[in-house]
Amino acid sequence: MTNERLHHTGKVVRNFLLALWALFALFPIFWMVLITFKSDAEMFTTTFAFHPTLENYQAVLFGTNYFKAFLDNIIVSSGAVLVSVLAGVPAAYALARFEFKKKEDLAFTILSFKFAPEILVILPLFMIYQKLGIYDTYFGLIWVYQLITMPLLVWVVRGYFEDISVEIEQAARLDGYRWWEIFYKMLLPLIKPGLVSSALLAFIFAWNSFTFPLLLTSFNVETVTVASLKYIASDTVHYGQMAVAATVAALPEVILALLIQKHLVRGLSFGAVKG
Amino acid sequence: MAQIELNNLTKTYKSHSALKSVDLTVKDKEFLVLFGPAGAGKTTTLKMIAGLEFPDEGLVKINGEIVNIVPPANRNVSMVFENYALYPHLSVYDNIASPMRSSLYRESEEYIKEAILKVTAKMKIDHLLERLPSQLSNGQRQRVALGRCLVRKPNVFLMDEPLAHLDAKLRHFMRAELKEMQASFDTTTIYVTHDYMEALSLGDRIAIINQGEIVQIGTGEELFYTPCNQFVAGLMGEPEINIIPGEIIRDGANVRVKLARQNQLYELPEDVADFFRGNSIEQVNLGVRGNDVSCSSERTSTKSIKGTVYVLEPIGNRSILTADVEGQKIRIIVSNSYDVDMDSTIYVDMDFSDIIFFDRESEEFLIRHNQESLVKEGANG
Repeated sequence: MTNERLHHTGKVVRNFLLALWALFALFPIFWMVLITFKSDAEMFTTTFAFHPTLENYQAVLFGTNYFKAFLDNIIVSSGAVLVSVLAGVPAAYALARFEFKKKEDLAFTILSFKFAPEILVILPLFMIYQKLGIYDTYFGLIWVYQLITMPLLVWVVRGYFEDISVEIEQAARLDGYRWWEIFYKMLLPLIKPGLVSSALLAFIFAWNSFTFPLLLTSFNVETVTVASLKYIASDTVHYGQMAVAATVAALPEVILALLIQKHLVRGLSFGAVKG
Repeated sequence: MAQIELNNLTKTYKSHSALKSVDLTVKDKEFLVLFGPAGAGKTTTLKMIAGLEFPDEGLVKINGEIVNIVPPANRNVSMVFENYALYPHLSVYDNIASPMRSSLYRESEEYIKEAILKVTAKMKIDHLLERLPSQLSNGQRQRVALGRCLVRKPNVFLMDEPLAHLDAKLRHFMRAELKEMQASFDTTTIYVTHDYMEALSLGDRIAIINQGEIVQIGTGEELFYTPCNQFVAGLMGEPEINIIPGEIIRDGANVRVKLARQNQLYELPEDVADFFRGNSIEQVNLGVRGNDVSCSSERTSTKSIKGTVYVLEPIGNRSILTADVEGQKIRIIVSNSYDVDMDSTIYVDMDFSDIIFFDRESEEFLIRHNQESLVKEGANG
């Protein structure tokens, strides 16, 4: 009886704490969505009573070239992830399977790209980009995004490859499969959870990137993070319009985050070899 | 169906040498057992035949053809891996179907279905076809791996301890099943094990491998009765053979043996005595199997050796009694009704007609009684 009551109390406390955390985490988002419907005049009222308006949406979505930035962001982010997957998966395989000199050093170097703050390397990069003529191009941005997307992908996928026993590949070779067939039929299904979740995370990191597009692009290519700055006018800051830009920019991330959840199932490879 | 030949196969991993100049010929349709302790190089040998490992030196031949640079897929060999190597994302059915769906060895789906049903019924896993490997027990996984190997019609079956993780009863059943299948398949098989019962019951011939070298190849009887050295003698048989140091005493034409720390002289069978008349070897080791030793609590003859009971282990249909004779442990097979107190005095008698003599220094085989008639069967094998 006491045990049951204790159990019940624990449940209540746990749920209460979770609710508190959810409130804390979600409130800024809630507030952001709220102010998209506020006019500049009512922006700083802290009561929840205001006169909802769609003015901000109209101003941002139809008054500026926000859609162009949104599209650009999709192009550079998915381009960066695509390049990372195409180059990173073979790299991860090599790091997991083959023995070669300085292997760990190389793996660490790839990871270390994420260590330095972007602002630290941006100035030399800016000058190199100017000289190479890839300043303000899709290619340039996709290239520099590899610093963000590649290390994450390589390290996650390498772990998945390491979990696959080499005998599984050997068995497939003896079964009469070619190496590319082994990759598609045997390995890809096993690394899929890791590949999908790390690719989606990489996409989100690239999507949110601010420093690189701010300094390495100007009129040709523009991302939503940089575009949001335009709503700071010389006389006033249009918080409502900024909030609209941010809310719309966050939509793909919310959708992707929901997708990730489904794919973050590890343990598919368990039971493959004797435990 | 193929003959497998290994010539001077050598492999070194970093500083540790895995195989040292291995020569081995497995005849067409032969069932050869590779038998040896852990780390002897058994799995490495199999993987070289499969083409998964490359030899540093030497040749691998299948049907007389050198296959050193033939990729594993094209060698048409079928292998059971020690860790099963099942495809975790495929059901049992698809796992077993996998070799028949590859571009090289493709079969029709009807054929696949029939073959799978046949092999899984034999393995008693036909009720598990829809499951994933993660939903199986180790014994079931091992049988799926065995099934995936056996559905094929390869040049050679390579089996790396395919029964190691089954429980005793199932292992016994599968052993019989394998032996029956081997008879009907007529395919060359190389089978790795460290269980001497499996080796003796399945193998047409057994190759003993130790530290990367083939120590002896022969039929089970050959290895059991005339092991080429003490190491092989120690591997065959349970309990392990007793090795007792002794000394050959020559007194004119009279050749007798004296056991270490004993004063009695024992007569030798005539053929053994003859052998020792022809040389001057003095220091020998006597290999005595547990069933060639008897014991009793009373002195039965003047030749009996006095010792104490060290331990008595009942193992079902018999018991193993370990006697302590002057610090030397002697394992004796006794009937399971035998009852004796620990540390009580016991008298041990040996049957000298079944003793195997080894050279003390080199531990190599010297002679045993009736050698000719015992090896006759294996000599031409």
